[in-house]
Amino acid sequence: MQEDKLLTKPFFDVNRNAVLQALGKDALCTCLQKMLLIRNFEIRAEAAYQHGHIGGFFHSYIGQEAIQTAALTLLGPQNWFITTYRCHAMALLLGATPNEVMAELYGKATGNAKGRGGSMHLYTDRMLGGFGIVGGQIPIATGAAFSCKYQNQKNSLAICFLGEGAVPQGAFHESVNLASLWSLPCVYVIENNQWGMGTHVSNAIANAEHFAEKVAAAYGISFYRLDGMDFTNCYGGFDAAFKEVHESSRPVLIECIAERFKGHSISDPGLYRTKESLKACMQRDPILIFKDELIKRGMLTEEAYKTYDKEARDRAIAATEFAEKSPWPDPISLEEEVMAL
Amino acid sequence: MREALRQAIDEEMTRDERVFILGEEVGKYQGAYKITKGLLEKWGPKRVIDTPISELGFAGLGIGAAMTGLRPIVEFMSFNFSFVACDQIISNAIKTYYMSGGRFSVPIVFRGPNGAAAQVSCQHSHCVEAIYANLPGLIIIAPSNAYDAKGLLKAACRNNNPVLFLECELLYNDKMEIPTEEYLLPIGKANIVEKGSDITIVTHSRMVKLCKEACIQLAQEGIHAELIDLRTIKPLDITTIAESVRKTNHAVLVEEGHIFAGIAAEVGFQIQKHCFDFLDAPLARVCQRETPMPYSKVLEKETLPTVERILYTVRETLS
Repeated sequence: MQEDKLLTKPFFDVNRNAVLQALGKDALCTCLQKMLLIRNFEIRAEAAYQHGHIGGFFHSYIGQEAIQTAALTLLGPQNWFITTYRCHAMALLLGATPNEVMAELYGKATGNAKGRGGSMHLYTDRMLGGFGIVGGQIPIATGAAFSCKYQNQKNSLAICFLGEGAVPQGAFHESVNLASLWSLPCVYVIENNQWGMGTHVSNAIANAEHFAEKVAAAYGISFYRLDGMDFTNCYGGFDAAFKEVHESSRPVLIECIAERFKGHSISDPGLYRTKESLKACMQRDPILIFKDELIKRGMLTEEAYKTYDKEARDRAIAATEFAEKSPWPDPISLEEEVMAL
Repeated sequence: MREALRQAIDEEMTRDERVFILGEEVGKYQGAYKITKGLLEKWGPKRVIDTPISELGFAGLGIGAAMTGLRPIVEFMSFNFSFVACDQIISNAIKTYYMSGGRFSVPIVFRGPNGAAAQVSCQHSHCVEAIYANLPGLIIIAPSNAYDAKGLLKAACRNNNPVLFLECELLYNDKMEIPTEEYLLPIGKANIVEKGSDITIVTHSRMVKLCKEACIQLAQEGIHAELIDLRTIKPLDITTIAESVRKTNHAVLVEEGHIFAGIAAEVGFQIQKHCFDFLDAPLARVCQRETPMPYSKVLEKETLPTVERILYTVRETLS
């Protein structure tokens, strides 16, 4: 199958003017700042990894910033948030500080999970994790949605991010089946960056053309296709989807067409992609698309953008300094909290 | 036994509305083994939930519910089916509390029959305790009688950790008088079933019955065995075991599951560590032999521990 044949249908139709006007200049600039924080955090963390400060696995969210920034800006703290091992962005968006996230990557005592989770396992009070097994988080999110329904919390939902690489897993199908069967308020978001490590989606999913739409139809739930590189389209699409969940108390499936600018993980040189195709996809940088739109509409200046970028860079650098200075976990604490009290 | 388990579930659902039960056939069918008989009628489909045949999905859903404020009881029709849900149990239920820096506990009970029934061949007969006991972060309970089952299941429902509650199909029809009012038994505490001074026998679940029979015959031979029922496999009550072995100076470990890297292997290691100077003979084990469970009842009997094998091993240890 031709790779480009996978992406021939239009994205969810969003009234861009309405979205941008409703949000307004300040909120839009805040969103841009969040995306810049994620970008700069990942750049600095990757550099720290190359310098040997960070070990293990490391999965960058660079290139996908628009998606979770849009979704999480719309959702308040009464909801539950679940994602994959590519989880730095979600933690930052939910209020974990760059310091605590970077310290976790460094394996320090001040880390988000006390140095026990690392890059793939970050948490907040409402973020149930970064999960390390592909697809393993999907039943967990479904259970969080079950809790919302069981406790009659009508304004709450669970949102679950997954890669398209998780779609062949049984965990995905069992979860969507249960959520539809029992009408659970769960939003499944497939961030389709088209590559599961080095395996293209067309080599992973049977009948791959518009697979997500077909899956949604098979399980009888609503479907939205969003442009994952475009904040405005994501924001408008997520807004409509969340409203539908609140009204219907039914799950929805959202596919965000995305690009992964980096390798699957830090140890992946991406040799399965041509330089030309990577260059082409990087021209659609979600931060630059958003920036250009705001400048065009007179909501942002080049100077203000540079200031935001520098502020984010400074925070990321400060986080590496905080992490470096932070103490290692005390070996005496090793066996603490294996069991809950 | 069925009634004891049902009382425990019913009492905990009465006490705490966050408790609910889900699994295959637990509702309209009244439970594959009738443990949940009448519960759907009493509590309704919100709290007694029939699932599709989807162990990975509903086990994981239960874990997610436990992380977000509920206290699920997940019934596996057989613990052999927990293997389908293994990643959820191991990667998510067992590890999350530690991995999240103590942020999310997972108060969930997985329960159902474990080990051999009668001639159901190898895919429905596995003893899972040794497989799961290798992992830090969970509790494993395996009661041998109705009284223990009720008190321990209620304690499991109130514990803030994932609990594997291993029942036994061949014990479901066992009858004994138990209090209908509430009582709890402590997790992590073994029970001395028979007092004795000559040898310690350590076992759990259905094997307690075989060991009791063996103890009667041994007594007729003038051998007074002390029989310890682990009740909780993890955490292991090594204190009770070690005190006994220091008194009897001999131990035989009996386990329905396989011998290699089994529970008996761990108990044996801990005995030699804590009682090395007190042992008058090598430790011995009676376990399932190293074969998958065969169907034929002749072969089934041959692979499982029997009273005869227990008697032989005790006599040999003492000789």
